[in-house]
Amino acid sequence: MRRDPVLDVRHLHKSFVLHAVSDRRVAAFSDISFQLTVGEHVALAGMSGAGKSSLLKSIYRTYRADSGEVWLQIHASEYVNMCSLSDAEVSAIRGHEIGYVSQFLRPEPRRGALEIVARSARQRGMSVEDAREAAAAALSRVGIEERLWDVYASVLSGGEKQRVNLAAGTVHPPRLLLLDEPLSALDPDNRERALALIASLTKRGVAVLSIFHDMEAIQRLASRVLVLEKGRLVAEQSPKDLDERLTSAAR
Amino acid sequence: MTNMVEYGRYPVARLAVPEWMLRVEKLGKVYGAHDDEVIASTGPESGTSKSSLNGSIVAAWDVSFEVAAGEALGLVGESGSGKTTVLRCLAGDLSPSVGNARLRTSRGEVAMFDLDSAERRLLRIDTLAVVYQDPAEGLKMNVSAGGNIAEPLTAAGWRSFGKIRARASDLLTRTEVPINRMDDLVRGFSGGMKQRVQIAKALANSPSVVLFDEPTTGLDASVAAGVLDLIRSLLEEHRIAAIVVSHDFSVIEMLTSRCLVMQHGRVVESALTDQLLEDPHHPYTQRLVAAARA
Repeated sequence: MRRDPVLDVRHLHKSFVLHAVSDRRVAAFSDISFQLTVGEHVALAGMSGAGKSSLLKSIYRTYRADSGEVWLQIHASEYVNMCSLSDAEVSAIRGHEIGYVSQFLRPEPRRGALEIVARSARQRGMSVEDAREAAAAALSRVGIEERLWDVYASVLSGGEKQRVNLAAGTVHPPRLLLLDEPLSALDPDNRERALALIASLTKRGVAVLSIFHDMEAIQRLASRVLVLEKGRLVAEQSPKDLDERLTSAAR
Repeated sequence: MTNMVEYGRYPVARLAVPEWMLRVEKLGKVYGAHDDEVIASTGPESGTSKSSLNGSIVAAWDVSFEVAAGEALGLVGESGSGKTTVLRCLAGDLSPSVGNARLRTSRGEVAMFDLDSAERRLLRIDTLAVVYQDPAEGLKMNVSAGGNIAEPLTAAGWRSFGKIRARASDLLTRTEVPINRMDDLVRGFSGGMKQRVQIAKALANSPSVVLFDEPTTGLDASVAAGVLDLIRSLLEEHRIAAIVVSHDFSVIEMLTSRCLVMQHGRVVESALTDQLLEDPHHPYTQRLVAAARA
């Protein structure tokens, strides 16, 4: 049975025009097309600079693509094209339908971890009490101890910040979750917890598009790997066949 | 690619977005005579807002935007870009040369620039409030904190002394001004404390729109951080439509979700705030972001 995609990226192009360097145009990626279905975890692989992060940001619309379409499923069989939505519409679906977890949490100034995660849950429509409860559970899941919950997130360690970020992104997961190296700063125990968490999301039907810097994570979580090279999608592989040089750890 | 299925057109979902509270259409403010040629002789391409034809200053031109309840819109640009001119036209401190501004109020939708001065004052009392960079513009320095807050309340028809005191004390508590300073003259307050009193006064009649003009500029870093946190939590707790004018990207990033960038009186770019910071398109925006990130 054919399943409707959660995400359908069609002929997406992105370049940057650097006005300070005599209007130089720098290509990020060209002509990217692929699809993701419910509960599917697809990983992006490729050398550093291949355009993986730019692709995630263009789907989330932090970057504005030059051309192409990004169809995102919103209701049972209804879609929106992220590229043609108004800014207000993008604001309205971020968090609800599409989430993004970056490698580097730049925590909002002067906010505690619990508040950050609870706010994320509230943005997704939870009541104040439910959001706090969900946030506490999400922080526990990623192993952030209770004594750190009200400490300003900006003073936490790199690995703790990354776990707070992951907790905020998964507290009430959207239909499509974009993960950009969410485990890069984690020690083995916490990494294990985070891997289990991400695996549980796909079981619940969340579609995940990810970038990981190591083979093991890709092989444990992803069902397909899309290989990017110099901004182009050059191959699709099964995780077990993936060439290790294509993970970004091989810089 | 393998596995690619060509789907036709998708049924397109209609997204619910919050309705606008304030809608500005083609707002312009020109000092001096102007026609199409004078306007065309100014702006980003000319590199100036002063016309070489007749010396008129086109402080703002063709500025349009909407702000919804619960949303904060940023106006960014260097000094002289026209952002404060726009805010002052909306505040009623300046009369615009052209354009419309429509505001949804409890009395229905009003065209702000068509109102007479009495009606404008009424709007400022209960619907649209302003927090100025300089507290002296928003507060009477020789009046107590409580007295300053009582002013918009009495203007809105509050008569009971006890109720006014209670409301003032509630607002000062919310803006973290010690209650024991309520009867002290504002003149004697620190910069940060004056700004908090100004915010308390702006909130007196629960306005639906609040305009912030460089609300933390000129304050010490730690004091500015406290005022910024206060504004952030007020915007989160109340469904206010806010406009935040600032040249400081850290303020814009913290408070707003969308932004307009102004240069030489014109809007040169409008985008989501994260887009503006990570993928700025206009040369001027790229320069501003590069300067802020350096």
